[in-house]
Amino acid sequence: MFKRGLFSAIAVFTGLTLSLSLNAQTAPPKAAGAETKPDPWNSIPPIKPAYAGRKSAPAPIRDISGIWDAAEADGGRQPSGALEHPALIKPRGQGVEGGRPDETGIMRPLPFTPAGLEALKANKPSGPSVRQVPSALANDPVDQCDPIGFPRMELFEIRTIELVQTANQVVYLNQFYGNWRVIWTDGRELPKDPEPRWNGYSVGKWVDDYTFVIETVGLNPRSWLDHAGRPHSEDLRVEERFHRIDHDNMELTVTIIDPKMYTEPWQGLSKFPLHLQPPGFDISELICSPVDMAEYNRQVGSVVATPGDQKK
Amino acid sequence: MKNQLRIPPLLWIAVLAISAPLFAHHGNAAYDTEKSLNVKGTVTGYVWANPHVFVKVDVKDESGSVAHWIVEAQNPVSMMQIGWSKDTFKPGDEVEIDAMPAKNGNPVAFLGSSSPTATRRRIVINGKQFQP
Repeated sequence: MFKRGLFSAIAVFTGLTLSLSLNAQTAPPKAAGAETKPDPWNSIPPIKPAYAGRKSAPAPIRDISGIWDAAEADGGRQPSGALEHPALIKPRGQGVEGGRPDETGIMRPLPFTPAGLEALKANKPSGPSVRQVPSALANDPVDQCDPIGFPRMELFEIRTIELVQTANQVVYLNQFYGNWRVIWTDGRELPKDPEPRWNGYSVGKWVDDYTFVIETVGLNPRSWLDHAGRPHSEDLRVEERFHRIDHDNMELTVTIIDPKMYTEPWQGLSKFPLHLQPPGFDISELICSPVDMAEYNRQVGSVVATPGDQKK
Repeated sequence: MKNQLRIPPLLWIAVLAISAPLFAHHGNAAYDTEKSLNVKGTVTGYVWANPHVFVKVDVKDESGSVAHWIVEAQNPVSMMQIGWSKDTFKPGDEVEIDAMPAKNGNPVAFLGSSSPTATRRRIVINGKQFQP
């Protein structure tokens, strides 16, 4: 009885050893102790569904530092104009074909002044919106790699930003076309008669423990507000409101105040969701090279322009 | 000259209703979003740069004459996010790419949206379906 049991045990052991060694031969070769680690460079942000149902710790007090991503499906890319006022008749529908002289009939029209409307008509956008023209006919400064400027960096393609807090500044790093801004928190006043800057002059303050408000002035009117060619004057004032909901989530509201161009303030983004990324998240480079842009326009943009529509 | 740039007969043009939202830097005013064509040929170049990545493809028709095609995608960061890299195509690769044609008939086609949630168009590289 005992003998038979021993034989069985040996048989099972032998069989097991054999099957393990066979398994080792057929399994794909692996380096000792190797586990596939995610590439630490050029990190890819999760898409919106990945955030669903995630629990978050409470928000830290007076802290918006970190790497924040505007998930693509949340609408960070705004090719038809600022997210809250796309230059479309219907969402993602009628109007993308372009060809209209102005924005009459769009879903949420902007309160243009007569000067604002005139400035709008002078800007020829190539994005899918009611006034779209083929790229070879557009006069979008960004199509020549002119600086995207502020607030267009938030109202065209907001992707990933990094915020760094120091004792007297918040440093704002924006992936799209490699922009940085300094937001002073040392109590200084905004300049009274500033030399225009593409990214303006910014001061920020905490209005409560979870809400940081930035005021920006001195913006170069050569930049557009968004990809639909909305204009601004040198008197533009922008308010950004970063409201941290909890540890992992923040909302951004961007208000445009420019009485020369618009009869009342309007919001480009309203409680727009930003998602905190892990500290090791490496933001990939998205730089506009004028030489590459010219080459693209030569080989692609001008070739697809409608015959007869070529720039004279 | 213009006639040589027309779509050669070897290209199969399928009319497809494309309902996916199109997010393009430069819009799609120049492209026929209702159509899809199949660009089949040999890669001669691959430009991995802003504002948009593009693939250059030589397409031969039955008579042996060659048309130089370009297939336009989106910017490198957007393409990386859906699995493309600087090495996705190399000169000499035999490819088939479904894309929307230019309205003016010139040999340029566009892949449209690079949204991570949009439906991917068919790309075959050296006989293998491209599945990043």
